[in-house]
Amino acid sequence: MHEGSITIRIAADVKEIERLNRLVRQFGELHDVPSRTLYAVNLALDELVTNVVLYGFEDPAGREVLINIATAGSELTASVADDGKEFNPLTVKTPDLNAGLAERDIGGLGIHLVRSLMDHVNYQREDAKNVLTVRKRIR
Amino acid sequence: MQIKEEKQGDVMIVTIDDHLDTASAPGFETRLLGMIDEGERKVLIDCGPLEYVNSAGLKVFLLAAKKLETLGGQFILCALAPSVLMIFEMIGFTRIMKIAATREDAQRSFRAA
Repeated sequence: MHEGSITIRIAADVKEIERLNRLVRQFGELHDVPSRTLYAVNLALDELVTNVVLYGFEDPAGREVLINIATAGSELTASVADDGKEFNPLTVKTPDLNAGLAERDIGGLGIHLVRSLMDHVNYQREDAKNVLTVRKRIR
Repeated sequence: MQIKEEKQGDVMIVTIDDHLDTASAPGFETRLLGMIDEGERKVLIDCGPLEYVNSAGLKVFLLAAKKLETLGGQFILCALAPSVLMIFEMIGFTRIMKIAATREDAQRSFRAA
C-alpha cells in the first residue's frame, strides 16, 4: 500500500454516494489498497454518509459532506465530517444478533456494520461539526 | 435496479441486480413486499449477480423474512457471493434466514418444509 490521501466533497444527496464509492475505489486502486480492505471501507463510508445525508440536515439542499481518506504505514484512516445536527451514531443501540427473526430489530444495521468492518471507530464534535473517524489495519 | 421474477410451481424466484443500496432499496422493497401482499408465500431470492449490499438493502431482506414468517410462508436466499455472505454473517442474518448454496438446494428446502 502506498501513502497518500484524498479529500472528497459531496452534496448531501443519496445520488452522490455512488460517485463517492467510485472515487474511493479509484483511490484504493492507485494506492494498492487490498480489495477486501477497499470493500470494507467503501461499505463503511456508504453507511456513514447515507446516515448524514438522510438524517443530518433539516434541509439538505446546498449542504455538503466532507470525506477524507488517508493511507499511512499499514493503516487506512477515513473520516466523514458534516455541519448538520449534532449526532453521535455510536450511541445507536447494537441490534441483538441472538434475537429470533420475529424479535430482530430493523434499525441499527448500518452502524453495526461499520463497527464490525472497521478496527476502530471514533466520534468527535468539533467546531460545530460531527466528525466520525474509522481506521482499518491492512493485514 | 433490474429485478427478474419467474414463477416455478408455487415458488416465486426473484433475481436481483449487482447493486442493492440506498438508491435501489426502496423500489425493491415495494416490489418484494408487494408480491407477498398479492399472495406469494414461497419466495426465493437469487443473489447470484449481487456484489454489493448495504444496510438499506439488508433491511428489505429482513422485512420480507419477518413478513413471510408471520404469514407461515418461506423465504430463502441463494447463491450469495463470498463478500455478501460475509456481510450476512456479520449482521447475524445467517442465523435467522435460510441461505442455500444454489437454486436447486433452495427448491429442495421448499419441498422438504
